[in-house]
Amino acid sequence: MDKRFDYSQAAAEADRCLLCHDAPCSKGCPANTDPGKFIRKFKLKNIKGAIRTIKENNIMGGACGVLCPTSKLCEKECCSSELDRPIRIGKIQEFLVRYGKDIEFQVFEKPEALLEKVAVIGSGPAGLSCGAELAKKGYQVTVFEKESEPGGVLRYGVPAYRFDKELLSQELDDIKHLGVKFECDCDIKNPGEAEELLNKGFKAVFIATGLWDAATILSNPPDGVYNSVEFLLNSHTEQMDILNNEVKNKKVAVIGGGSVAMDCAGLASKFQASDVYLVYRRSFCQMPAEKDELFDTLEDNVHFMILNQPKEYIKDQDGRLTGIKLIRTRLSDPDGTNRRSPVEIKDSQWVLDVDLVVEAIGNKAFDNSNDLYPDVDVDDKNLIKASLDDCQTSNKAIFAGGDIVRGPSLVVNAVQDGKTAADAMDSYLKKGRTNNE
Amino acid sequence: MNKNSIDLSIDFCGVNFKNPFLLSSSPVSNSAEMVARSFDAGWSGVVFKTLNSDTVPIIHPSPRMYGYGYGRKKLVGLQNVEMISDRPLKDNLADFLYLKKKYPGHVLISSIMGFSNDEWAYLAKASEDNGADMLELNFSCPHMAVEGAGHHVGQAFDLIEKFTTTVKECVSIPVIAKMTPNITDMTEPAIYAKNGGADAISAINTVSGISGIDLDAIVPTPNIFGLSSNSGTSGPVIKPIGLRFISDMAKCDELSLPLSGIGGIETWIDALEYILLGASTIQVTTGIIHYGYDIVEDMIEGLTDFMVEKKIAKLSDLVGKALGSLKTTDQFDLKRQGCSVYDLEKCVGCGQCYTVCKDAGGFALEWDEKKRQPVLIEDKCLSCMICSFVCPVKDLITFKEMPENWKREDAVVMDESLKTKIKYEPFKNFIK
Ligand SMILES: Cc1cc2nc3c(=O)[nH]c(=O)nc-3n(C[C@H](O)[C@H](O)[C@H](O)COP(=O)(O)OP(=O)(O)OC[C@H]3O[C@@H](n4cnc5c(N)ncnc54)[C@H](O)[C@@H]3O)c2cc1C
Ligand SMILES: Cc1cc2nc3c(=O)[nH]c(=O)nc-3n(C[C@H](O)[C@H](O)[C@H](O)COP(=O)(O)O)c2cc1C
Ligand code: SF4
Repeated sequence: MDKRFDYSQAAAEADRCLLCHDAPCSKGCPANTDPGKFIRKFKLKNIKGAIRTIKENNIMGGACGVLCPTSKLCEKECCSSELDRPIRIGKIQEFLVRYGKDIEFQVFEKPEALLEKVAVIGSGPAGLSCGAELAKKGYQVTVFEKESEPGGVLRYGVPAYRFDKELLSQELDDIKHLGVKFECDCDIKNPGEAEELLNKGFKAVFIATGLWDAATILSNPPDGVYNSVEFLLNSHTEQMDILNNEVKNKKVAVIGGGSVAMDCAGLASKFQASDVYLVYRRSFCQMPAEKDELFDTLEDNVHFMILNQPKEYIKDQDGRLTGIKLIRTRLSDPDGTNRRSPVEIKDSQWVLDVDLVVEAIGNKAFDNSNDLYPDVDVDDKNLIKASLDDCQTSNKAIFAGGDIVRGPSLVVNAVQDGKTAADAMDSYLKKGRTNNE
Repeated sequence: MNKNSIDLSIDFCGVNFKNPFLLSSSPVSNSAEMVARSFDAGWSGVVFKTLNSDTVPIIHPSPRMYGYGYGRKKLVGLQNVEMISDRPLKDNLADFLYLKKKYPGHVLISSIMGFSNDEWAYLAKASEDNGADMLELNFSCPHMAVEGAGHHVGQAFDLIEKFTTTVKECVSIPVIAKMTPNITDMTEPAIYAKNGGADAISAINTVSGISGIDLDAIVPTPNIFGLSSNSGTSGPVIKPIGLRFISDMAKCDELSLPLSGIGGIETWIDALEYILLGASTIQVTTGIIHYGYDIVEDMIEGLTDFMVEKKIAKLSDLVGKALGSLKTTDQFDLKRQGCSVYDLEKCVGCGQCYTVCKDAGGFALEWDEKKRQPVLIEDKCLSCMICSFVCPVKDLITFKEMPENWKREDAVVMDESLKTKIKYEPFKNFIK
């Protein structure tokens, strides 16, 4: 993790920008944040304009600046790469959004909310972006959130050392300033409740509940085994100290090779575990996590146990975890893909002594999630079926986006879904209005 | 106050401009196809590329420009040997008609330059007859070798008055005189233009200069097949010169004409500086040569945000606002003295401040080798502030005022004993 840019560094970096015609970086941003434009504005000293461009296009521009895997998005397209290295777009973006607060710059005028009432379920980046866009268009927006504070993964997932709550609060303030109302501690959980909002005065609903169930790997986990969702969630609540104590000076194994696994391993390391093992059944280059995440994790002194497949938990008489039985694997014969499967090596089982395990092999939708919206079609993974062009579901008044539609994805994609949905909801409601005339 | 309450429009010689930002006469305003795109981008008007009357063929040297870079920065200056328009007059005039038809709300200013009295009159009339809202008389092109043309006129003040009078007699649209900076005092020729009837002054055209030498060929740049010339410099490097001339004219009561500021404008801040020193419209070439027409979006947005912040609704209220503090140096309050302040929390340890203070300042810094940090001896600080200009960290080195009784240490004399040996008598001023 490198340091934030200050003004001089951000300005110097922006100065490297080639201000390309038909900026390819802007095309590389899934949410149309338009880096080509905001960097030009910054470079030409129109700094408020630069902040305005970011925030008008992407209400979570600060979060994206910190969290986007830029080397696969905007920065991947940067023409400067041909000369030396890409412009650090994400870092400039983060700087500009934070700077907006330093200079007390209020981007948005408070819109008048004269249009229909609309509901958003879930306050992750998808819900926040949709709510903000609808409020800008003049709708009366209420966001329902089951947790006690808004933010979704940004608040209860991504570890605090990687993304600070201060930036989240800043962006939430912008959204509140736009007139979006939040109903927290409000779990929409009864069968059909999501759809019933339509009978309670809300003319359209956006579902953005994300993925909060954890896939599990070994059955009957003993005490001492966490899944990534609870492990990370606890790190963000009053459970934090207890969790920290459980980890400190202990041996921890994290199972998985994706970004979430890296976050869990990084967190265990920050909590001063004596040893952190990352257990992954394929090889290093098959790990789905981003390259910089992998290297950051290595720098956190995490031991990578690649080509090892977990078989079974070992526990003591009291049922407490003492270790994990692993079997060595090799990769199947090359098949031209990067997903060569792991093949267990006979008789190569061994036991890794650990005090705590975090299973981090992926988030999924709750099995009963469809009960909340029985009219809405879902697929076999309980993901809501909606086209990414308009986010509309099989129920015309219900829209959905973010992870609950895409499966595990990115903040920036969730933001774009929120924008797409807001436009589609607006057209849908406009149509209703003209039909009524 | 918000963005919508800001009025960037301005009256200039009775003509209304939606905003103060115009293309200046140059390749950026060479044809209607280009100008139309600039209007779409947000420019409120154009001074079209200086017309020629088809009497002498115009052929531009090739290559005709050279980019003057400094470190990473490209185009801090631009050198050019371009002539006036090489297009047939009819093409340019047809483009005038097109622009006026398509963009009636935008201002079309025709730049003209004649080689004789009659030619000035001819071009002025042709411009007015084909829709020009105003004229700009180019008394300032530095590339005209002929006496009585370009900046040779700008340097021969009676010709300025004569040609302006001629033009004013045959047209009724407002007339701007465009000045060359290749003189010492601009108010004088400006007053000649005024006496000839000019309604406004624009300045500056390019500054005569040489920006480099092609060392392989031993020919200054641009190298035009083995030859070069003293030629026109434009861009950010000439802004200080432009600001100076504009402010001189703005302060001149005898002149008191509206001013159009030109020279090194790229950002809203540059534009605002010209406005604060008395310009009410501003013109741009090199900024567009560097970045394209879109920079006007940033000029408009940046200036608007500034006005919101300062709660100034009308652009005209900004014109000349900085002039009041611009005085001759003898009026400074020299009793008030200050020195630099170091916020060493932010220091990265490069030591550039130490080097420059030692070799070009008051030697007011010591170097803490262990910490790799400067240690300031306030009493030796000259407040030249050069350290702050080289420091890579924003706001690490700032300025503060010292108490009234504070006295700066004199620079060290290496060997006081040598004072007994100097040949010296105190200076007596006999001329009373
Ligand atoms: C640990 C972790 C790290 C990640 N790191 C990155 C990263 O670095 N970069 C990146 O781009 N992406 C990252 N992602 C992915 C990214 O966070 C998600 O793609 C994004 O948050 C999805 O947004 P969302 O709005 O769809 O859902 P979420 O952020 O999951 O938000 C859903 C919200 O809905 C609420 N909710 C759920 N059910 C109900 C209900 N019934 N009633 C009311 N409220 C409900 C939840 O409490 C939650 O607040 C990461 C994900 C995880 C889990
Ligand atoms: C290539 C080039 C050609 C120019 N041609 C003309 C011209 O035909 N008529 C004129 O009045 N000024 C001409 N100029 C001067 C510009 O209009 C302007 O006064 C000068 O460049 C300073 O402004 P800038 O720093 O924004 O470029 C020319 C400048 C350049 C760089
Ligand atoms: S900018 Fe265009 S016209 Fe000028 S030299 Fe390059 S290619 Fe030729």
